[in-house]
Amino acid sequence: MTSLAQTRLSRRELLKIGAGASLALTTVGLTATLSGCSSSRPSSDFEVLRDSDLPVLAALLPALVGAHPALTNQPQAITATLRQLDISLAHTSAAIQKDVHDLLGLLSLPLTRGPLTGIWGSWEQASPERLEAFLQRWRDSRLEMLRQGYKALSQLLLMAWYALPLSWETTGYPGPPQI
Amino acid sequence: MSVPDIFRQGIERGWQVIDASLQPDNSVFEADVIIIGSGAGGGTSAQIMAEAGLKVIVLEEGALKTSSDFKNDEAKAYAELYQEGSARATRDGGIGILQGRAVGGTTTVNWTSSFRTPEPTLQHWAEAHAVSGLDSASLAPWFAQMEERLGISPWAVPPNANNDVIRRGCEALDWHWAVIPRNVRGCWNLGYCGTGCPVNAKQSMLVTTLPAALERGAVLIYRARAERLQFNGDQISEVECRAMNQLQTLADGPRLRLRARHVVLAGGGINSPALLLRSKAPDPHQRLGKRTFLHPVNFTLAQFDQPINGFYGAPQSIYSDHFQWQQGALGPMGFKLEVPPMYPSITSALLGSHGQENFQRMRQLAHSNIMLALLRDGFDDASPGGSVVLRDDATPVLDYPLTDYLWEGARRAYLAMAEIQFAAGAREVFPVHVHGRASRTMADFRQQVEGLSYRIHDVRLASAHVMGGCAMGDDPQRAVVNSQGRHHQLENLTVLDGSLFPTSIGANPQLSIYGIVAKLATGLASELSRA
Repeated sequence: MTSLAQTRLSRRELLKIGAGASLALTTVGLTATLSGCSSSRPSSDFEVLRDSDLPVLAALLPALVGAHPALTNQPQAITATLRQLDISLAHTSAAIQKDVHDLLGLLSLPLTRGPLTGIWGSWEQASPERLEAFLQRWRDSRLEMLRQGYKALSQLLLMAWYALPLSWETTGYPGPPQI
Repeated sequence: MSVPDIFRQGIERGWQVIDASLQPDNSVFEADVIIIGSGAGGGTSAQIMAEAGLKVIVLEEGALKTSSDFKNDEAKAYAELYQEGSARATRDGGIGILQGRAVGGTTTVNWTSSFRTPEPTLQHWAEAHAVSGLDSASLAPWFAQMEERLGISPWAVPPNANNDVIRRGCEALDWHWAVIPRNVRGCWNLGYCGTGCPVNAKQSMLVTTLPAALERGAVLIYRARAERLQFNGDQISEVECRAMNQLQTLADGPRLRLRARHVVLAGGGINSPALLLRSKAPDPHQRLGKRTFLHPVNFTLAQFDQPINGFYGAPQSIYSDHFQWQQGALGPMGFKLEVPPMYPSITSALLGSHGQENFQRMRQLAHSNIMLALLRDGFDDASPGGSVVLRDDATPVLDYPLTDYLWEGARRAYLAMAEIQFAAGAREVFPVHVHGRASRTMADFRQQVEGLSYRIHDVRLASAHVMGGCAMGDDPQRAVVNSQGRHHQLENLTVLDGSLFPTSIGANPQLSIYGIVAKLATGLASELSRA
């Protein structure tokens, strides 16, 4: 039910993406190597999510959740959701954390972000239309890896958002019973 | 109103309950029997072994969380009480797996549905898997005993509206439906069984068999992963354990060495075969971890004019077996129909789509019903199940290929569930599929379902029942253990959990584990007591 992310880049999948993008993908490891360990270190006050992951997730959250008034009106809502997601990820497993890092790494590195997502500028600057086009492209892709990425991103962020009490009123959920 | 935390009270009275992470490195523990796992199989075994006068150690990888820790909090429960923080999934990510990780195992977080093993399942095991001595008549007294022990009886309170959709729909269609037996005593009908029962009404292992065993002097060591078995010939000489970190992600704490004359393996599907694989246990016919089954589940969503409020009330109280045995045990996949609880976080991930579409569906949460089909895998030859394999870090993952046989079952299940929902008065029904949309009529829904893509990630699949991987049977070429659960090659190892099952059950498996394990553990206990 909470099948999160297990996005692996098999050789076969890389070949299917095409030469341009696969060149970009193979440079991910190189980039990570060149930039040392810093890219794998969690952001301060986070257990799993890194500095480079946060703007990607912050941009995608409203695109996935829609025009929820509590998300639109409360500036702290996005941060609260990312913290909730981070706590959940911190309890998963090394294997799943690595998969999530790989997926978010693809989305944040400029070399892979453009060809794979159609977002050529920064995530912060991406228009709602661009974000929607990206989500549909991955959702409908013939590539298993991208469809899985769509599933993982939407489940991770939706579950984190609707775990927060501030999201409930609009849904008609009065909250859990108090004992 | 404050509810007594009977587990904490027991610890105060002197139960031997040990946090492995606080032990000195290389601590040694000795007993007559080491039981690895504290869920349905381990808990049941622990009480039986302890009452037979044996010195028992129960080992649990998960944390100790008891009623005063349970706050009806979804995110906290998914993080703390489920394997891999509830992010466990099959290797290709096709099926999400909800499986418990705590003292009490999955019984701490399951939804309480308790069915005896169906007759056709036991017959099929005897005929196709050389399982002996486990027919309905031999098992009946054991099921009766465990039903009595765990307060299992059909739910006497009216179902919540979410479950009532099944009753009303099936009544209108003249299809089979029945009330689900639940393992509860004094249930408050809150509906938060999935996040740990805050009032100790659910008769999980946490409040029944484990306390009984601890009263008899059993020792519970929690937050300890059994990493490897050491062998001396055909004997297990030692169980090497390591304490888990606070987040339960790594076994990097103190080492523990456990020794006993007999080892009971009860880590559940995936984790039990994984320990044997890590230990390089004898497996001359390559059966270990094979034939692991999931009851893969697919879903439909229905919206009603009237409120459903499926986030409150006993989560599962009505089921339908109308499609379960239509062509016997073999042939096209049968399925059992039930509903899940409609907690907001988990439901948001099942509604499908994103953005405004997802939001519009979430706004209908209180008027929505989700139905699920437990697809009965492992019976027909076209359904060989999955294989447990080890990752580079020696943790397990289940490789479970998605087949056309499964997709065909999912397609029929979509249709069956929508028929019930429309018959119960649903305004709109959606298949839970990445391209699912609202249908207002059955004709439109049928057309939609015929046109859907049946491929990985498009059809949303989940599982809450991991079964098999240490299959039982009297033929050592085809089974890991014999019909008593004794390992075919290792003399002092018995498997007593859901990993025994040579197929899926065709019903929520907890009572199958309780009944079968009670019978086998009683036989083993009397043998060990004599020795």
